[in-house]
Amino acid sequence: MIKIEHLNKIFNENRSNAYVALKDINLHIKPAQTVVIKGVSGSGKSTLLSIIATLIKPSSGSLMVDEQMIAKLPDTHASHFRNVHIGFIFQAFNLFDELSVKDNVAMPLIVSENRQERIDKKVLEAMELANITHKKDQSVHNLSGGEKQRCAIARALVHNPHIILCDEPTANLDRENSLKFIEILKSFKALGKTVVIATHDPLFDNLESVDRTILIEDGKIR
Amino acid sequence: MPNKVFFNFLFLLIFRHRSKHIAIFIISTLVVILFSSVMLLSHAIEQDAQASLSAQPDFIIQKMHAGRAVETPVEWLDELSEIEGVSSALPRVYGSYFYTPNAEYFTLVGIDLFDRQISESLERLVKDLDVKDFLAQPSMIIGSGVKTHLDKFYYKEHYTFRTPAREKREVSIYDSLLSETNIVSSDMILMEESLARDILGVDEELSTDLVLYVPNELEHDNVKEKIILLFNNIRVIEKEELSTAYAQMFNYKGGLFLLLYMVVLMTFILILYQRYSMISSSDKKEIGILRALGWSVNMVIRLKIMESLIVGLSAFVLGILLAYGYVFYLDAPLLSEIFLGNANLSNKITFNHSVDFGLLTLLFLFFMAPYISAVLIPVWRIAITDPLEAMK
Amino acid sequence: MILLSNEVIIFLFVESLLLLLLSIAFINTLSIYSKWDFNASTSLQYRLEKRAYLVVLIIVVSLGFKILLLPYFSFMIDQLSAMVPGAMCGAGVLSSNEYGSTLLSLKVVTLFLTGAWLILNSEDIKAPAYPYFKIKLLLFIMIYLLVVFESALDILYLINIPTGAPVACCSSIYGAITGGSPLPFNLDITRILILFYLFYLLSVVSSLARYSFLNTVANLLFLYIAYFAVVYFFGTYIYELPTHQCPFCMLQAEYYYVGYVIWGTLFLGSFFGISAFILKLIIKRELSYMYRLSLVFNTLFVSLVSVYVLVFYLKNGVLL
Repeated sequence: MIKIEHLNKIFNENRSNAYVALKDINLHIKPAQTVVIKGVSGSGKSTLLSIIATLIKPSSGSLMVDEQMIAKLPDTHASHFRNVHIGFIFQAFNLFDELSVKDNVAMPLIVSENRQERIDKKVLEAMELANITHKKDQSVHNLSGGEKQRCAIARALVHNPHIILCDEPTANLDRENSLKFIEILKSFKALGKTVVIATHDPLFDNLESVDRTILIEDGKIR
Repeated sequence: MPNKVFFNFLFLLIFRHRSKHIAIFIISTLVVILFSSVMLLSHAIEQDAQASLSAQPDFIIQKMHAGRAVETPVEWLDELSEIEGVSSALPRVYGSYFYTPNAEYFTLVGIDLFDRQISESLERLVKDLDVKDFLAQPSMIIGSGVKTHLDKFYYKEHYTFRTPAREKREVSIYDSLLSETNIVSSDMILMEESLARDILGVDEELSTDLVLYVPNELEHDNVKEKIILLFNNIRVIEKEELSTAYAQMFNYKGGLFLLLYMVVLMTFILILYQRYSMISSSDKKEIGILRALGWSVNMVIRLKIMESLIVGLSAFVLGILLAYGYVFYLDAPLLSEIFLGNANLSNKITFNHSVDFGLLTLLFLFFMAPYISAVLIPVWRIAITDPLEAMK
Repeated sequence: MILLSNEVIIFLFVESLLLLLLSIAFINTLSIYSKWDFNASTSLQYRLEKRAYLVVLIIVVSLGFKILLLPYFSFMIDQLSAMVPGAMCGAGVLSSNEYGSTLLSLKVVTLFLTGAWLILNSEDIKAPAYPYFKIKLLLFIMIYLLVVFESALDILYLINIPTGAPVACCSSIYGAITGGSPLPFNLDITRILILFYLFYLLSVVSSLARYSFLNTVANLLFLYIAYFAVVYFFGTYIYELPTHQCPFCMLQAEYYYVGYVIWGTLFLGSFFGISAFILKLIIKRELSYMYRLSLVFNTLFVSLVSVYVLVFYLKNGVLL
């Protein structure tokens, strides 16, 4: 359950180049919902996603996840929160090209897991979910765009988070792979994950698996 | 927490940033070689000097006249050996002999073959000597440095010395000495005492100086006091004083180098600081991804500190090993000349391998402390990179 | 002249580097301390939080080096004894002028506070919302002032070491020659030993039972008595010579550097024992690992020194 109330974000506060990215955002997202945030680039949807992920802190307002105030957590705790609750899928995949698929997938577990066999087990499970097991020892720069996407999905699932945030997930994919991604969205839903997608791709319009579409414009929810 | 994937990733990062690290690694290694070879060398020389000192007598007594050391009467020995605690008292006859062909000074040492010798190595030497054969004609045993110089002018069998009265003394070369502590004895010539007196012009009842052996260290202060009360115009040199003087001499020589290296090190710190302060956009992206995946600032700091530590430590280890090879296997060409000087015979010197824990700690602190200090601020700066970089 | 000795140059060099780093941290600390407001969500506060990472990083690293430098300091004065006439070990060099013993005690106190700071810091990071942040900074300001004072004393001490006139050696400092009882409260060796084992037992009991205040008292008393017990009793078994009473000679290679282990374990044992109580006052919570570590190090220390006596007795059949 994500609860956002009166949230504002101003970049470069108290300076001449100050700029308001988000204005009085109020948003409740129920567990296991799939929500699409639509808007043109620069509208503030990425900023909203980053605030939910505790990557940046709001200028004012509150953010609660599972009844826990997370907007003001010190970094160590915010990072821990991110590491436990959030899975991230980026527009540019953001994989480490020189690393193998399985090492990329293991990345979030480095901070939280001590035992190598536990890491190996979770990595294998995640790779199977994302259907990339057959490439596990290949380094990422040999993969196709769709395979990279699946590797990124495995990484987002490996620590079993209950919230998955996607930033323009289909921007770097062709139509065929984009459609595959939408199939995967359904499986997220089946797993009971809360999914928030920031996108301007019309492909997400009127999808059956999407519970809610929010339009954001100039930092405000329409 | 640090597991296999972490170290995998760490080494991958180092490999990925190799172009950034390689210059630092090379400079670091050079800096380490520079100062550690000097330190290893001065340490080895000091150990060597102290080792040969330990075989030296506990007291050396010289008669002084008008502030200069003059020959000391042998008869003083009677009174000296009666001091409580003195186990033995011996006269010594030695001096410099000017070798005209090469304008070098040799050290001529007279040995009494039938008495106790002034050092253990001499004792061993005399024990193995065929005395009858040695005394059959005027003979000498020469150090390796002396041999080189005599060979140069084809004095293969014998050499003719001149006494102060310009009389000739032909002395045959009995043997040349393979010196174990060659710093001390490569310019030495050993010969029978009366022959040495003859060549150096020292009378029967005089000696160059007198030496005392006092086995109990706690007695040294008392004995010294008594010696001073016995005679006027004397100089008493205690072994501990020599040891202190050696320690000061070698340590301070190393110290001067250290002061110079501090300047080098400061420059190095600045280079290091600058190099690691350059944060590229791909660096920022890398950190951004890690932060988005749940790495805390502290984790990133740990990763980055480890990254530079591995580079620094491996440069340190490599530098120490290379310096070790330079000093102990190559015998420190160039540097050894600065340290030993050419006051005596120049000769090839082999150093005894000597490294101790204290010296390594010292080198470690001297290099690693500035190294780590220099990377702290750059590491922090990259660790607090805005995680939003990952979203771009 | 002594300033040209290798050990001294490197010591001063590292000390001044650390002082420089700590000064950077100190200046930042002052500004963070005055403007810190965790509940504010201004960009200023976020900047301060980022700045705090630098401060903590610098402090952790330089205090880590400080911990290395205390044994190095004793190593250094031990080495200097070769250059100071009359001194056989660090004792002579340390007492060669009036600053030495003050300096050493100051270093021990600084190290003690440093340890407390590091523990407080790790507790602060573990909790959400930085509960001990301001106390941590205050403690650092205190440590910093001590370090500045210590650096001044370092210089004063080192330039005043005489290299010409002979200084006393440990046998005359620790009373084997001059006679008269050097022990406190007119205690004799037997009583010191009884107290030594008694206070050890007290510290064991109080730490097992988690009586934090009693444990602190027991550890303080133990530290005090243990010092005399080692110098005047256990040390003689390490040297195997009844007249050799010296806390420094055991740091030398002839005794396999055992002094570092002996004084190190004693320091660590007392440190965890004493600071358990002080930290409890600040964080209002028991840190049970502190008691455990105190117990472990005290026991290591007591066994180590006792083994020396035992081995001597088994080898020679008599006591000194």
